[in-house]
Amino acid sequence: MSGFLKRLPMAAGVAMLFSVGATADPLPPDATYRPLPTLPFSTVKAADEAQKAQVLQRQQTLLTERYDTADHPIPNVMMSGGRKPVQAGVRVKLPAGVTWDSLAALSPDQIRERDLLPAGFMPLPHVKQPTGGQVFPNQQIEQMRTLESRNLQRFDVDFDLQDRFTPEFPPPIFLTTHPELGDVSRGQVLSIRNFYETMNGIITPVQMEGLRLLLTPFPQEEFNQTEDRKSAEPSMGVACLDCHANFHTNAAFHLTPDVRPQSARFRLDTTSLRGLFNQQIHGSKRSLRSVEDFTEFEQRTAYFNGDHVSATRKGVNLPDRPNQVAMMAQMQNIIDFPPAPKLDPMGRLDPSKATEQELAGERVFMGKGRCAECHTPQTAFMDNNMHDLKLERFYKIGKTVNDLVMLPDGPIKTFTLRGIKDSPPYLHDGRLMTLADTVEFFNLVLGVKLTQEEKDALVAYMLTL
Amino acid sequence: MRCIIAAAPIAAVLLSLPAAAQQAGNPAAMAPGTAQTSPGTPAPHEMNQQDRLFIELATAGGLAEVDFGTLVGKKAGSNAVKGFAARMVEDHAKANQKLEALAKAGQVPQPKDLDAEHKDLRGQLDKASGADFERLYILGQIRDHQKTAQLLEWEIGSGQDPALKDFAMETLPTVLDHLRAAQGIASQLTGQASLATAAPVSGAATPKP
Repeated sequence: MSGFLKRLPMAAGVAMLFSVGATADPLPPDATYRPLPTLPFSTVKAADEAQKAQVLQRQQTLLTERYDTADHPIPNVMMSGGRKPVQAGVRVKLPAGVTWDSLAALSPDQIRERDLLPAGFMPLPHVKQPTGGQVFPNQQIEQMRTLESRNLQRFDVDFDLQDRFTPEFPPPIFLTTHPELGDVSRGQVLSIRNFYETMNGIITPVQMEGLRLLLTPFPQEEFNQTEDRKSAEPSMGVACLDCHANFHTNAAFHLTPDVRPQSARFRLDTTSLRGLFNQQIHGSKRSLRSVEDFTEFEQRTAYFNGDHVSATRKGVNLPDRPNQVAMMAQMQNIIDFPPAPKLDPMGRLDPSKATEQELAGERVFMGKGRCAECHTPQTAFMDNNMHDLKLERFYKIGKTVNDLVMLPDGPIKTFTLRGIKDSPPYLHDGRLMTLADTVEFFNLVLGVKLTQEEKDALVAYMLTL
Repeated sequence: MRCIIAAAPIAAVLLSLPAAAQQAGNPAAMAPGTAQTSPGTPAPHEMNQQDRLFIELATAGGLAEVDFGTLVGKKAGSNAVKGFAARMVEDHAKANQKLEALAKAGQVPQPKDLDAEHKDLRGQLDKASGADFERLYILGQIRDHQKTAQLLEWEIGSGQDPALKDFAMETLPTVLDHLRAAQGIASQLTGQASLATAAPVSGAATPKP
């Protein structure tokens, strides 16, 4: 009883505080909602075009400071279509005076206090953070111009990464329903003009209709008919597979729809749709529980930044759940990973096929490196969970780099490692250019202190997946 | 209160700000009739409505920080809370000075008194005492620093004047440090596990004794 009475004053104090909270002014509306444009389209376009060279230069300066972008392919290692080499070596640059080993010997606190976290391990800004939005690589833009006379070029920004750090284009397509056929893409990028002749006789009617919808352009935040667009002409919009080219990825990027305000929204590298049939959660932040949910909701998230108000103004497409969404999902669910001939049915290396180094890499992966704690071979190298790596242990939060505020990422979905050599750049925002970069990143984040030999073995192993 | 935000050598404060990193906002949000040095680049101290609202809200927040901090210096018992409050007075007085110079440069009038929300809280703080007083202050500090961090991030993304955006960028890490320090103290006061989700409180964020 006396304990209860003692606690009363505090409870009263807290209640008073909450009563103040209820009457407080909220933050300004455009901290959450997209504001309406204030200037005529032609004025905005002229201003954007005038700024463009400077905007691109600033991003290139950041990339050059962070990464070694030279062309150093791994000898005789190509992506699954056999046309693009996989880049070798650690590309993230070290701060002056440290080596990867000396850095790994420091505690997170020491690295944070001495400001020694390599800049390339920090969140990667969008080319133009205040505007954000979808940015397509040049090859995708050229293909859609040729195939569909549709313009995916923005007048305010261009794609920023070099081709050598993006996936093979067009990526091969493997189907769970026809493993015997191998790549069914015919070396083309799927578009509304060619999908039918490419896929008829291979897929079912409902899959075909799903595919048609996934290739149909719908209005999007930067590509629409209003004055608030970044395409020179009023645009028909973008298709799902404009980013997820051939159900893989062309490294088109965006800002996360799941965070506000604008300066805190981290960059999103397009994720591959290969192996979606085994994936139980979708969206790096949203943890949506089905491909159907993901497919339906993307029309207001990927397309409109998670702002249903803006979507309504620009012409949102709301696919019909029992028919259209189901068919789009069924098409996505038959996209397989590329073949991995050295893996056995449970995802482990076949010792009769793998090299000694690859087997050593698998041992590190399963043991000292702690990779398999989340990237479980048996469940397609995922764990269907989100994890928080707490990278902010290593840097002081709140600094602004190219208009992006460096903040903790929080929990992010575990991505599959099957076919991982086909999917640069790495991490949810594409901040790492090579597999060797990912090894150094996790060596530090997990504090596992791998030797150079173990790091090399891990890279060799990941190339087999 | 006004005396704490002393009329500082304004020119010196302005010069001490980092050179504006080439910032290019979304020109779609620029107000018609904005003076520009080149297309899309507003003239120096040409402020948009977000800048002006930011000055108003940030000024109100800064005034309250110094006001409450000064009160805590007189009323609080524990060293942790006193140290934190002293740091708030020092850091926010400095920030208020810089903001005042920027507001003058942009000819934006600043509020001179606490806003309604903080007046209300000040009234409650005046009435409270002992452990209740400290808890009320620290919980209010957590909420105010959360809001201020979001306000600064909003200005960084939506503001227009490069000098004002630089001010926001420069201030944000300190505000996040304050937030973590306040969360650390709150966990001591309430005996709960730390409410801070970010990095552990760094040396710089430890309240001065």
